[in-house]
Amino acid sequence: MEEIKGAIALVGYGLAAIGPGIGIGLVVAAAISAMARQPEAAGMVRTTMFLGIAFTEALALIGFVLFFIA
Amino acid sequence: MEQLILAAGECDPSADIICRPENVVDLFQFSEPLFTIGPLGFTRTVILIFLVMFVVLALLFFGLRRKSVIPSKFGVAIESLVVFVRDEIAVGIIGPEGAKYFPWLLSIFLFILIGNAFEVLPLVNFPVTSRMAIPLGLSLLTWVIFVFVGFKKNGFSYFTGLAWPKSVPLALRPLVGLIEVVSTFILRPITLAVRLFANLVAGHLMLTLLLVSGYVFMSSVTSIGARALIGIPWFVFGLGIYMFEVVVIILQAYIFTLLSAVYVQTSVHPEH
Repeated sequence: MEEIKGAIALVGYGLAAIGPGIGIGLVVAAAISAMARQPEAAGMVRTTMFLGIAFTEALALIGFVLFFIA
Repeated sequence: MEQLILAAGECDPSADIICRPENVVDLFQFSEPLFTIGPLGFTRTVILIFLVMFVVLALLFFGLRRKSVIPSKFGVAIESLVVFVRDEIAVGIIGPEGAKYFPWLLSIFLFILIGNAFEVLPLVNFPVTSRMAIPLGLSLLTWVIFVFVGFKKNGFSYFTGLAWPKSVPLALRPLVGLIEVVSTFILRPITLAVRLFANLVAGHLMLTLLLVSGYVFMSSVTSIGARALIGIPWFVFGLGIYMFEVVVIILQAYIFTLLSAVYVQTSVHPEH
């Protein structure tokens, strides 16, 4: 039973990592095109990009930690 | 070295090649205090916290002790770090009154940075912030500060402005209000702490598993012969993760401080 629980936990983490992966890709893509359109705003865009990455990565990391708890 | 692998329970090295605990959570169980002073026990983590505090104080003291107009190279480095936190994070995010919050932001930034840096320091290799108490304590401090500032600046309309947003169509107001309240008062401190904790635990776990397993494979050449060479790619991959961890450490300290400043900014200037 332990192996099945461990295997399902691994599958759960894999599913949980799909969303934040796509999300971070979208955030950074928007940041890159914003920096290309207006290089003077690159500093502010970079700060906001880090903020967006932190928010979306938190969900993937919660999944990673729960994999070890279960 | 074999003692490190005997994490929990009995183990017979002649029967298995490697002994492992029942569950990886056993690696994180309560550890015995090394010595106690009265009712307070000093485990390895507590001693490392005090060490982090002394390192931060030494950095700031020796870096900012300006004796002449032209500071030394170490002074320039520390000064640029301090000015970065003040200009980019405290004043840049919160606005002109951000200078009040600058000592607190600098303290948590340096504490988390040095506490994380212990993960890649050769003799220590244990990130202080990977024990949940420390990120939780720091994020509770952030939570108390931004809730207190919100109520002090805006009175009770801070809460009603979140729970009953005027800029949303009337039919959606209860739902959006509920989401805003739960997200601001409950989710923000939890995710702030879990983000830092999970990043550090994941890095520490991967470094431990890869480097130790690579070493154990390579050092057991006498017992399993040429198959010990499988330890080499694990060890090299572990070194790659080591370099990645250096980036993660600095990034996570920066993000924790940045998010604390952003939460204070949304309390001081609620947009809705």
